Amino acid sequence: MAENILVIGGGPAGLNAATMLSELGVKVTLAERDLFLGGNPKKFKYKFLFPDMQPADNVVGELIKKAETSSNIKVYLSSEISDFKENGKKFDAQIKSPDGNEIKTFDSVIVATGFEHFDPARDAKYSYQLFDDVIDIKDLERMMGEGNFARPSNGQPPKNVAFILCVGSRDRHVGNQYCSRVCCTVSVKQAIELREHFPDCEVYIFYMDIRTYGFFEDLYWQAMEEHDVQIVKGRVAEITSGPDNTVICKGEDTLLRGPFEIPFDMVVLASGMEGGPQSSEMAKKLGLELDEHGFLKPQNVTLALFKSNKEGIFLAGACTGPKAISDSIIEGGAAAMNAYIYAVRNH
Amino acid sequence: MEYDENGVSIVPFEFKKEIFEEAKKDFRYEEYVRGCLNCGVCTGGCPPHRFFDFSPRIVLQKMKSKDPELIWTMMDEYVWACFQCFTCAMICPFLNSPGGIIAILREIAVRRGFESAKKVLKPYSRVLLKLTAYGNQLSPDMIQPDFFPDWGPHIGYASTDLAVKRKAIPMPTLQVTNLAWDVAPETMKELYDIFDEAGVFKIIEAVDPSLYEIIQDIVDDVRSS
Repeated sequence: MAENILVIGGGPAGLNAATMLSELGVKVTLAERDLFLGGNPKKFKYKFLFPDMQPADNVVGELIKKAETSSNIKVYLSSEISDFKENGKKFDAQIKSPDGNEIKTFDSVIVATGFEHFDPARDAKYSYQLFDDVIDIKDLERMMGEGNFARPSNGQPPKNVAFILCVGSRDRHVGNQYCSRVCCTVSVKQAIELREHFPDCEVYIFYMDIRTYGFFEDLYWQAMEEHDVQIVKGRVAEITSGPDNTVICKGEDTLLRGPFEIPFDMVVLASGMEGGPQSSEMAKKLGLELDEHGFLKPQNVTLALFKSNKEGIFLAGACTGPKAISDSIIEGGAAAMNAYIYAVRNH
Repeated sequence: MEYDENGVSIVPFEFKKEIFEEAKKDFRYEEYVRGCLNCGVCTGGCPPHRFFDFSPRIVLQKMKSKDPELIWTMMDEYVWACFQCFTCAMICPFLNSPGGIIAILREIAVRRGFESAKKVLKPYSRVLLKLTAYGNQLSPDMIQPDFFPDWGPHIGYASTDLAVKRKAIPMPTLQVTNLAWDVAPETMKELYDIFDEAGVFKIIEAVDPSLYEIIQDIVDDVRSS
């Protein structure tokens, strides 16, 4: 009889883990809390993915198709793990879904519960939700995904747009000291997309460090050299309303201008990633450890990022910290391999 | 004090180092000075930065440099440009407090009777006198028709018959016009003890010796009554 493995979370990491396990002949139970598979990229309608601007739907769509067509994967949508118990070296989990409750025994478990976008309204200085034209990168991504590239306040094309980096990241006031890794590259990517869509629109990026790590640096240089994006060092201290339906960014250009107050048609906040309530929920239900940043804690951050503190329970994707979609997909594979080895040994 | 050929005082490096050491010894120092990325959010939100050459980011950076020369450059007029509103501390992602550093440096300048401290505190002599000698400083007899136009059109009426109007307030301590309220001699004596213990009188002696003498006369009178 085949091994049974539970995958919690149907985003890029969970989908890849489930697909790879199914190809090994494992019976996979994939539990997803939302009505659909695809995780945050699907939920927020990501349009194009850095660094090569391939459509997000192609990437996530491919993963979803594989999972949905596999006869070895049983998908539970709108579901939750309502009960979880260790059973010797195995695990008994109750999956609650609209179809009822089902209790199954699993040989191993993969947790891929992902992240939540930081809610910029929690940092009052950015006036998010106070002014229509202050949005964040997930809002812009969704707007672009829906083909709705315009100022929220009046539907007009913007004449100038400011990106503000590190919103909800690297800030002790909001409780997140870590860097969210991808927001710099996402912002640079969106700045380029804005410039391509509105060639007359000026685009500024206000940063304290630009962390377009590895080859993503190419996008950053492209933004400067080919798209004339203005890169200004200085964190914005306050966003207020300005004349002619504008929003004013106030701050210090620490390298060149000194103090500035610039009216913009639109401000895009590069809000970061958080472990979200699902991380602590998983920690409580499955007996996992949380780290000091509110994400699930791997057994060893270098050697075994995909192992949890519990034997037989593995971790994949952004539930262990902010990361790019490509990293999540890789970790889905790594967790699948480890969960498979554990399952075969104890089956 | 030594002077150069232009009459500018020469401050020895050892002295500047002493000032820095004194700031670093302050119990608040570790809490106020943390990491800094030069993001400038403090200066961007700083009200005096709009009017003066004053930047909380520079304050923190100079402190972090641990260079007594750089820190000394702030000890003259620079530290007095801060409004002490602590907006910088409210928005710094590292929870630094440039405003707090300014408070530490100002206290050093006052304790040591630096010229800048004397100059800045001069217009406050009356406030210092009233507060330290009598415990409060705003009094009804300060209200004059031409003095506070921003207090509204009734200021003329408010300034007349002060004693009668004060009598209408049914509080024994408010039956005075030359003080905001009448402070009992016992309370004043306790206040003087606190000022003595906290070193307030010593500070006043350092920044304004003649004011100190006036205050001491009043203190002696009250204490011997």
